[in-house]
Amino acid sequence: MASALVVRGLSKSFGALRAVDGVGLEIRDGHVHSLIGPNGAGKTTVFNCVSGFLRPAGGQVLLRGLDVTAWAPHRLVAVGLARTFQITKVFGGLTVIENVALAARSRLGKNLQMWRHARGVAEAEAAAEEILAMLGLGEHAATSAEHLAHGDQRILEIAIALALRPQLLMLDEPTAGMSAGETERIGELIRRIVKRTTVLLVEHDMEMVLGISDAITVMTQGRVIATGTPDAVSRDPQVQEAYLGAVEARSF
Amino acid sequence: MKTGARTSRASALAAVAAAGLLAVLPFLGAAPFTITLLTEALIFAIWAMSLDLLVGYTGLVTFGHAAAFGLGSYAAGYFAREVTADFLASLLVAQVVVVAVALTIGFVATRVSGVAFAIISLCIAQVLFQVAVAWRSVTEGMDGLVGVPLPKLLGLTVDAGTEFYLLTILIVLAVYVGLSRLVESPFGRTLQAIRTNEDRAAAIGINVRLHKWLAFILSWAIAGIGGTLMVFMKAGTTPMSLHWSESGNVLVMAIFGGLGTLFGPLIGAVAFVFLRDEFTTRFEAWQFAFGLVFVVVVLAFPTGLAGIITHVWRSLWRARS
Repeated sequence: MASALVVRGLSKSFGALRAVDGVGLEIRDGHVHSLIGPNGAGKTTVFNCVSGFLRPAGGQVLLRGLDVTAWAPHRLVAVGLARTFQITKVFGGLTVIENVALAARSRLGKNLQMWRHARGVAEAEAAAEEILAMLGLGEHAATSAEHLAHGDQRILEIAIALALRPQLLMLDEPTAGMSAGETERIGELIRRIVKRTTVLLVEHDMEMVLGISDAITVMTQGRVIATGTPDAVSRDPQVQEAYLGAVEARSF
Repeated sequence: MKTGARTSRASALAAVAAAGLLAVLPFLGAAPFTITLLTEALIFAIWAMSLDLLVGYTGLVTFGHAAAFGLGSYAAGYFAREVTADFLASLLVAQVVVVAVALTIGFVATRVSGVAFAIISLCIAQVLFQVAVAWRSVTEGMDGLVGVPLPKLLGLTVDAGTEFYLLTILIVLAVYVGLSRLVESPFGRTLQAIRTNEDRAAAIGINVRLHKWLAFILSWAIAGIGGTLMVFMKAGTTPMSLHWSESGNVLVMAIFGGLGTLFGPLIGAVAFVFLRDEFTTRFEAWQFAFGLVFVVVVLAFPTGLAGIITHVWRSLWRARS
């Protein structure tokens, strides 16, 4: 099987702090691959380096064999990488369907059209409707995005990213601030999405990660300590220690 | 989809009707002085709408928008005096100059956002101001450019007063309708996405820097149209047209009218000119009086005069149904 994403020797420092130190990752096509680890392990830094929001100090990022190290975010989108944000960043002033259609128009290369009406790009509207229906947001299409419930906004984040038809979709803590029921809904959603695109998931909810992942990479203190199937990773003594340590630290 | 097209057609019709109403004023016995004031107000309206594209729609706050207007005035005025008074030729020359300068400085300025952009745009405008003061052989320094002839349109002289007023209305109408379409277009929506959240915009594949650059150039070009009209109206210009205080004035007009509405900055400019005229005849410190009105309006209605009008309109609508 081919690799959707390969990361080699990725490093990034913030001042004296080595946030990411020689991280390697390989994500298989069609997998849900999760990146987990205690707070401050460097997951989000890896995520931002891969998606172009931070410039790595060293290392290589290969998207389907193409070297995209330190590319700007919009160029990465053009070669099939999309991401969501941990803190919801939907376009508040626009309606739900406009949020998704905006991304679809971007994919279709219509951003620079200055004369026709934005809602007149039929192909983008159709794609947006299809995605909203698939994610169960169809009834909210005409709602202003800022008036959506928190959980629905998180799903809208995913809908926007899907409108870009990515080959690799990176989800940054999609269940942040969600109830148990909503978390389950997101998990089920990810299993459906992966039929269309490979998924890299950064997530805190261990139960969900173990339930839906094909592969898991565990990080602590900027380094990868284990990679493998959910079973193998959860039995790894180093991982158990890292998480036990984190749990003990948290109880103080 | 259809509703969007219908609303924009309705607003275009409303704009044509308003323009028609303004156009008949001189023939209904409006005083020449009122017509002069209206002409100036409408020229400022072009300028304020161009600022709205940058500040209200793209989220780039500038303290140097006088540069675009003043540069258009100098380029058109100098050309009209030295070469030909043909209005369209002067407009074209001014557009070429303004766009050429905007291409260059916009490329640098739009690499940053927020306060940094505001400060850089201010610096650029002050540099142009100093150039206008110092480059005496062309600009005649602090005395300013004088002796700009009346414009000619298709060989016929456009008289100051009613004829020039009608020309101004036509151009304001074209700018308003064009910009209304632009902000509803895929490009306009993209600018609004950038204003809402640059990171999010980049993450859906938008080339943020390219779009900000284009918005900057468009905004300057439109401000240059206003500058062209103004230099013909006043038969000249001075370096003060490039001064930072003018950049402040146009920001006040746009905010007073309501940013991000197009229509707001248009009426904001008209309100500004008429209130300034009213207050300068009554008070020594007219800025103080205007400032009070400004603060009250903007505190009560963050979307300015446009907010008040929308509010009244909605209440009437509710009362009827």
